[in-house]
Amino acid sequence: MLDRLEELESEARQTIDTVNSMDVLKEVKIRYLGKKGALTTLLRALGDVAPAERPNVGRIANALREKLELAIQRKEESLRDVQNAGLWEKERIDVTLPGQPVSLGQKHPLTLILEEIKEIFVGLGFQVVHGPDVETEYYNFEALNIPAEHPARDMQDSFYITPQLLLRTHTSPVQIRTMEKMAPQLPVRIIAPGKVYRRDDDATHSPMFHQVEGLAIDTDISFADLKGTLLMFAREMFGPNQQIRLRPSYFPFTEPSAEVDISCMMCSGDGCRVCSDTGWLEILGSGMVHPRVLANSGYDPSEVTGFAFGMGVERIAMLKYGIGDLRLFFSNDLRFLKQFR
Amino acid sequence: MRVSYNWLRDYIEPGLSPDELAERFTLSGIEVGAVQKFGCSLPGVVVGQVLSVEPHPGRSNLTLVASDVGTTVLNIVCGAKNMKAGDKVAVALPGAELPAIGVIRETKIYGAMSSGMLCSAKELGLDLGSAEHILILDDTAVLGAPVEQSLELDDQILHLELTPNRADCLGMLGVAYEVAALTGGKVTMPPLFPPETTENIHGAIRICVQDNDLCPRYTARIVRDVTIKQSPLWMQIKLLKAGIRPINNVVDITNYVMWEFGQPLHAFDLDLLNKDEIIVRRARKDERLVTLDGVERVLDSDVLVIADSLAPIGLAGVMGGENTEISSKTRHVLIEAAGFDPINIRRTARRYNLPSEASQRFEKGVNPEAVLASQNRAALLMAELVGGKVLQGVIDHHTSPTKPPLIMVRPERVNKILGTEIPAETITAILEKLSFVVQPGGTGSLEVTVPLRRADVMMEEDIVEEIARLYGYDKIPVKLPRGELLANRPSLEDRLYGSIREILVSCGYFECITYSFINPGSLARLRLPDDDHRMKTISVQNPFTEEQAIMRTTLLPGLLKVLQHNYSYRELNQMFFEIGAVYEPESLPLEKPPLEKMKLAFATTGLVPEPNWLVPSRNADYFTMKGALEVLLGRLQIKSAAFIPAAIPFAHPTRCAYVKINGEELGFLGQLHPEVAEIWGINQTVTIGEVDLSILARHTDLVPTVTSLPRYPAASRDIAVVVARDILASQLECTIREAGGSIVNQVILFDQYEGKQVPDGKRSLAFSIKYRCEEGTLTEMEINDAQKNIEKVLFELGAVLRT
Repeated sequence: MLDRLEELESEARQTIDTVNSMDVLKEVKIRYLGKKGALTTLLRALGDVAPAERPNVGRIANALREKLELAIQRKEESLRDVQNAGLWEKERIDVTLPGQPVSLGQKHPLTLILEEIKEIFVGLGFQVVHGPDVETEYYNFEALNIPAEHPARDMQDSFYITPQLLLRTHTSPVQIRTMEKMAPQLPVRIIAPGKVYRRDDDATHSPMFHQVEGLAIDTDISFADLKGTLLMFAREMFGPNQQIRLRPSYFPFTEPSAEVDISCMMCSGDGCRVCSDTGWLEILGSGMVHPRVLANSGYDPSEVTGFAFGMGVERIAMLKYGIGDLRLFFSNDLRFLKQFR
Repeated sequence: MRVSYNWLRDYIEPGLSPDELAERFTLSGIEVGAVQKFGCSLPGVVVGQVLSVEPHPGRSNLTLVASDVGTTVLNIVCGAKNMKAGDKVAVALPGAELPAIGVIRETKIYGAMSSGMLCSAKELGLDLGSAEHILILDDTAVLGAPVEQSLELDDQILHLELTPNRADCLGMLGVAYEVAALTGGKVTMPPLFPPETTENIHGAIRICVQDNDLCPRYTARIVRDVTIKQSPLWMQIKLLKAGIRPINNVVDITNYVMWEFGQPLHAFDLDLLNKDEIIVRRARKDERLVTLDGVERVLDSDVLVIADSLAPIGLAGVMGGENTEISSKTRHVLIEAAGFDPINIRRTARRYNLPSEASQRFEKGVNPEAVLASQNRAALLMAELVGGKVLQGVIDHHTSPTKPPLIMVRPERVNKILGTEIPAETITAILEKLSFVVQPGGTGSLEVTVPLRRADVMMEEDIVEEIARLYGYDKIPVKLPRGELLANRPSLEDRLYGSIREILVSCGYFECITYSFINPGSLARLRLPDDDHRMKTISVQNPFTEEQAIMRTTLLPGLLKVLQHNYSYRELNQMFFEIGAVYEPESLPLEKPPLEKMKLAFATTGLVPEPNWLVPSRNADYFTMKGALEVLLGRLQIKSAAFIPAAIPFAHPTRCAYVKINGEELGFLGQLHPEVAEIWGINQTVTIGEVDLSILARHTDLVPTVTSLPRYPAASRDIAVVVARDILASQLECTIREAGGSIVNQVILFDQYEGKQVPDGKRSLAFSIKYRCEEGTLTEMEINDAQKNIEKVLFELGAVLRT
């Protein structure tokens, strides 16, 4: 019986394959699957099969019916497509035409970098705080250990609004404002992004630019913690193989102070034009918060220590994106901005 | 500070090459900007001695010089006449190559053979003396030696970029102490004590310091019988290496000693002083002094002057006066070495725009220990090099001698701050290399005496930095802060600004960042009346240009400038936004910091979407921007924004709206007045808008409210009416909602038509109304009743049904 079923299947399949019109297909369907069709006829002889085998043979026969029905249906579909070929041809499209435009803008590259910086430091447990652009001399200078007539004021030429008010020359005043607000609570861990202003205007200086200030105060913050934090930042920002180098420097509001270099990403530290053959690129200034600054803002320098840093956002964006001209950021030229889309 | 490597070796042997030394400096806190070769290579140029000078047989303006070059005697034709037999000169041998001239060859000049060339300073690459004169070398030059070595031209200059605290390195000796700290070497002081005559200085001059606060120390020496001429060549070349122009022997010595000690000196012509008297005092009002640069300065009591009994003879610490300048006639010299108040010097130098080598040093503070040493050193050099006789004694007017500070240093505190475990012995060793004196103090602490030249080291933390930088920042371990966790999610404002950026970017807008200051003219271009609040601006006192003259009170000028810039580059289709502060004074003149209000502004022009083959583009207009704003407000869960026709000076008179939320003005949105757009150089429709972000924040909810899904089906009915043009769509929608009652679920305007079939002054508006009830499926009758009621109320507004 099983042999006959198999025979029937291969015969039916061959027949279906050769069919090339709907009418013939209908006939074929009746011939094999109709009430008087070959399969039905065959199954009438099921009684001759040994009772133990009957269920198995029955299952196979039913499966065969389903298979043949499906084969006929596929054949039907392909015959219809052939019939409708003219219509489909009329509906042919050029799949290489551009897709429907979706208007999409982009954030400013400085925003993109700022978001990245914030993300990294928020991940390290820092809070994001803000301070005003128009500052008092006290917050911008005096509280940061830069008294009037101090030669360090020459390091930054300021835009003045009144004799006592100026456009902040750095984000460091936010250190003082934050500590005043929080003292004597510990720990303090903040970053403060924002605009800063200096009286400079050339290819490498803009009268307005952006900085991110960082500050961490606790009972046992050390210079080693500063190194670790900045190394972590450099690697998150520029890649896991980044090295950093701290060089002693001077800022009135930190002691000891350090300029921080990262290994040049253009030449991996071998020396190239971008890093003036030094293998290093300066990215930020930092140091341990000066005891007078702590005292000015309500913390006891004999009880707490802290580190602070300030980085130029444009500088980091230029390095990260390989931008050569600072002025591009503020031209807001679409040909530039669209490259970040 | 320019540091000649060879000159530095007069005081200390670094044991490092110039490049190695530069690297060590940079990594220990004194950045070396560049290491630069001094002078040029002069292969084939040797020291010669003139044996004879004869006139050229053929040409009267030339001479024939016989010159011994050690190995042979060369006959050389020369154009200059300033040399005489016995002079040492630089001879370029045949085959020598001079940078400015090229290869020197044996050649016949007007019949006379010339085997080489005598060189002027310029031909050797030195900016000294006259180009027509042959450079006469010092007698000590060794015959036949290469000139490059003899003149120490094979030198490297280290350009130190000093931070303001390291004024001690504004002198070669200070730099030498820094080298000693790095290498452990020893500093050799130059000779200091001049031979003195029997005549005592006190009989020759009287010094009176009237303002001790501004001049805590004044020292003077007198040198008689000087002969003013050029300095020896070695000194001139050293000064060139320092970047100082040699002038004459007396002035050069004061500069040379300043470069050694960092202590500015001044020399007065003693004969030109009135009544042999020096008075250090504040100037009188309207007193005048012609300074050495030939400019007459009008003085007042803020300025400290050095005066004689009659008049000022110098701006103290800044620049000397022409009236007592050293000249070729000077016979007797008074040397001044003083200490002045840094702040006063700074003010004077700034006021007269005279930043001099002297004033820069006084401003940053000079080493009190160097005053007398440099005075003596200068007198010694004048005795040695100028042939002067140094009078016996120094006048030293010294009011408040400073003592070297004693600082207690606790090694455990050092290690706590640095995160290190540096042993006390290492700390002591580092400090001793700095020539700090270390004594044991109580309970393991150290008592450190800091020499006065390091005025920047005043407290324990300063010592910590000295230890750290010499120990090596690279050796300090890497750790991360430990401590309590803090809630540090960004503030609601920060998250709001983040959301706004995301939404607007997905609506096709580009973010721009423009300067916080603007040109005041741009507010006038916006046609703002004087009493507009945006005209109350804060001025920047010292802008570079008009573009930075006032702080912005609106973001629009910045955005319009961006549009203009891009438009000029034929980027015609633009959509921009900016989030930034505007600066509003609470009162003028400003008494306290202004309010910094965060604003969001938009500007669009051109086609949207960008022209493409598939969907039609249209000119971005009011409705384009309103669409984006509606998306934004929707996303911030603000459902009650109203758009109310507005008249704004810079906007199209009939295409502008205030945006209000629950009656509070959020901002505006509208087409820029075409005439204003034209002023900004844009000849197409520009749409702008600006909203106040603090108001927006107050109404914002970043969490969407979710209601349960409706259980019963809705039914829709359309209604089209012809109404007078001045009836607003919002008014009709509101009417429909009210008249339809609570079962009106949604009202959507789906068509607006004006033209044929609609009378003039009217328009047709078509709404689709969706009815739904929470309690059950609405019956046909309920819906018809509502619809009838809506029609009735619309009729009362003068509407006619359009079928």
